[in-house]
Amino acid sequence: MKNPAGIGLRHAHYKDVIETKPAVGWLEVHPENYFGGGAHRHYLTKARELYPVSFHAVGLSLGSTERVSRDHLRQIKELIEIYEPFQVSDHASWSMSGNAHLNDLLPLPYTKETLSILCRNIEETQEFLGQRILVENPSTYLSFKSSTMPEWDFMNEAARRNGCGILLDVNNIYVQSRNHGFDAFEYLRGIEGRHVGEIHLAGHTEQEIADGSTVLIDTHDSLVRPEVWNLYGFAIEKFGPIPTLIEWDQNLPPLSTLAAEAGRAAAIIRERALPHAAE
Amino acid sequence: MRLSETQTLFSRTMLDHPDAVANPDPALAGLFAGEEAILPARLKIYRNNILGSLTKAMQATYPLIEKLTGEEFATGLMRSFVLESPPQEACLARYGAGLDAFIETFSPAKDLPYLADVARLEWAMNEAYYAPDDRPLTPAGLQNVPLEELADMILPLRASIRLLDSRWPLSAIRNFCLKENRDERETLNLDQGGCQIMVYRPGLSADIVPLESAEYAFLQAMSAGDTLGQSLETILKTFPGFDFKGFLQKHMALETFSSPVANT
Repeated sequence: MKNPAGIGLRHAHYKDVIETKPAVGWLEVHPENYFGGGAHRHYLTKARELYPVSFHAVGLSLGSTERVSRDHLRQIKELIEIYEPFQVSDHASWSMSGNAHLNDLLPLPYTKETLSILCRNIEETQEFLGQRILVENPSTYLSFKSSTMPEWDFMNEAARRNGCGILLDVNNIYVQSRNHGFDAFEYLRGIEGRHVGEIHLAGHTEQEIADGSTVLIDTHDSLVRPEVWNLYGFAIEKFGPIPTLIEWDQNLPPLSTLAAEAGRAAAIIRERALPHAAE
Repeated sequence: MRLSETQTLFSRTMLDHPDAVANPDPALAGLFAGEEAILPARLKIYRNNILGSLTKAMQATYPLIEKLTGEEFATGLMRSFVLESPPQEACLARYGAGLDAFIETFSPAKDLPYLADVARLEWAMNEAYYAPDDRPLTPAGLQNVPLEELADMILPLRASIRLLDSRWPLSAIRNFCLKENRDERETLNLDQGGCQIMVYRPGLSADIVPLESAEYAFLQAMSAGDTLGQSLETILKTFPGFDFKGFLQKHMALETFSSPVANT
């Protein structure tokens, strides 16, 4: 990929992206927004003529003990056939329980039981879609007593078991390190580079909660924080020129702001990625 | 605790009364690391994310409800709906069916008898917006049909078409809501009579067209799968003066009918 830095394509930017063709390497969309037909697909078709596209699903609920919805998979597969994304991903989290979809990326205990459930669901997904997927590390606000391994080991193990890749969200790693008290660099050092297929960057919010403590919330509503850029530089040195996405979902800025953030990521890749790291 | 039980308990807590988060079930509280004192606030982050995002999705689908009732009322209504009927699939474009029925049982809305029908209109517009793309039947497509076969034809409606019959003036209510720079003192006469309308998708967004009673009845018959001949026969009994030619011209122009799949 000539320019490895991309941006999320959001509704409010459809026309702007198609008309101004910002200097970004690729676009990412949530396939769920294109289920059905109509206007969204019209714009995605236009955007796809201009850029490579990746699919970042939010609804597979890979960490649910219930199985992945066949209907959901079928709709994603239909879209894959139309738009030919260069990558497909979802999260190491859950959102579906007892027929209710909670529309959030909910936390998992990092245990052997969870690994086997997550891996079963990833495997079924890969089999159904006929391709490898990437799985993203989440932001969480609670951690489980029952966890028996750090999150980075959990992510490595999931990737090792069924050949999926890791979508490394560097902002989430920073959020996790602050919310759960560990060293974010240790997390990055712990991740096996051969699994990493994509990186996400986004803004977060510091929120003081009722008990007086501060929690970092993964809000995707602002510029990438300096601490996260710093971690990102380290990640690029370690993992090589990995396709990187700027995510921004709330309080959307002008498209030029997103493009500038992507430009910054591209510059870091140019300066710091060692060719040998990109194995 | 098994993961399935954990997820059931967590999910139930999120969709329960706020007290369930403020004073969590000890079985749930015992699962998490850290001091117990931090738990309510952390569970609340999740509850706010879940209910906030789903409520926002509902508000985006039902903008007229909010214009009519104000943000506070609409948020309360949508939140109550979300708690009672959370989405059953991970596609928010299809979430929110049944708000009309919910409004009929929602006691704060009992003095707003038109609100449920406004919800029906907005849901129909949402369905039209996300309907599958299909090709319209064109005049050229009809020209090739021999006259004697016309009566036996079934003309399916486009996937985006919805027909509504209301005792409230839905078009007028919608226009009132959408009017920019409306004078604060301006009021709307709700007793001006009901309406029959067609929701459709010209281009990329949904819109509505008022229908005459005969036209509405004819489209209803056709959407039920009757042939043109049968539909016409039914209509002429009730509306002997039905102007079929005018109807066809109007609806060919609106691209109401879908092209038979084989017809390219």
